[in-house]
Amino acid sequence: MLIKSSKQVSRWRTPKRFPVSRNSGASPASRIEPGVSWPEPEGATRVQRFKVYRHDPESGKNPRIDTYAIDRDKCGPMLLDALIKIKNEIDPTLTFRRSCREGVCGSCAMNIDGTNWLACIRSLDEISEPSTVYPLNNMDVIKDLVGDQTHVLAQYQSITPWLRSKTPAPAGHERLQSPEERKRLDGDYECILCFCCTAGCPSHWWNGDRFLGPAILLQAHRWLVDSRDEATGERLDELEDPFKLYRCHTILNCTRTCPKGLNPGKKIAEIKLMIQQRRS
Amino acid sequence: MTTAKLRPRSPDVQIYKPQLTSVLSIVHRMTGVFLSLGSVLLVAWLVAVVDGGDTYAMVERWLRSWIGLLLLLGWTFALFYHLCNGIRHLAWDLDFGFELRSIYLSGWTVVAASMILTVLTWTLGLAVLE
Repeated sequence: MLIKSSKQVSRWRTPKRFPVSRNSGASPASRIEPGVSWPEPEGATRVQRFKVYRHDPESGKNPRIDTYAIDRDKCGPMLLDALIKIKNEIDPTLTFRRSCREGVCGSCAMNIDGTNWLACIRSLDEISEPSTVYPLNNMDVIKDLVGDQTHVLAQYQSITPWLRSKTPAPAGHERLQSPEERKRLDGDYECILCFCCTAGCPSHWWNGDRFLGPAILLQAHRWLVDSRDEATGERLDELEDPFKLYRCHTILNCTRTCPKGLNPGKKIAEIKLMIQQRRS
Repeated sequence: MTTAKLRPRSPDVQIYKPQLTSVLSIVHRMTGVFLSLGSVLLVAWLVAVVDGGDTYAMVERWLRSWIGLLLLLGWTFALFYHLCNGIRHLAWDLDFGFELRSIYLSGWTVVAASMILTVLTWTLGLAVLE
């Protein structure tokens, strides 16, 4: 079907997965085992079930999939409401990140029904029955739905996400921008670093140790087009690398999944063009 | 930090939902590999043409068997798919067609175009053979 906005949930519920076995390529400690089914609510007319990835680091056991069921009539409208309800009323050990509950902080990014999105802005009307909830892909799991972001944040630091300038700051006022110069940051500054895109990028799955991934390259673009930054050449030099930038093969899972409706794929193509254009 | 080593890695390709974006990308790769194998066959066919006679007859017979025809059909589709999607990639390299709607529209166009071109080629080819 035709997708016009990343907000749109595909009406095609199948295929749910690529034809690979559920644990193919997983290290022994990463293999997912069957979990438990928690009791269903009594007297409920609208039951919603969730198959949730669980991992307890203190148990010494492998990750498992637990099934929870809630009464839709006694739950808030969003997936995050359901997760909080499960934590409050069924299983207090269920662990996930959350903060703003309105899609501006990026904490509750997770893999919902096979694609990445923020739990706080995913309506329960839009999910499958039963729905699957996993942590963001290809991350070391600290507990349940909480992935370790140390590596992606180190990659963020590697692109020096701050103003690099040689000229002294003007006296008495900030470094000024014209409205046109400021406009160039549109589509970049809105990124909340939820890592839905990077976690959904196949290139980052295979080469994430060196490929920076869509979120970080979009941030790199943000500093490349900033009129106040004076290190554009150095920044391009640093990015011109077979792995850091050019492992992007324009798959565009990033643009499809961005909960803020941004376009990391386009921004990466613009960085590649900037490198080509400065040669001529 | 010793516990960090024991942490499980969350699943990726095992659970991520196939979408037009990722499916067309992996098919682009697979058709690329398939076409490189086909170029070997093309060379074999050219050698057979040069050698003529029995060699050519043998290759021709093999190509007209059902498995030969099936492979040729596959190579025709692979060629047109890789060509059409390659043009899509060239447009992206020039920063065109990145809106999600354009990505999906051009994607489905590539699927339809490569199928239509394959059918057209075979209709023409079979008509000439008759």
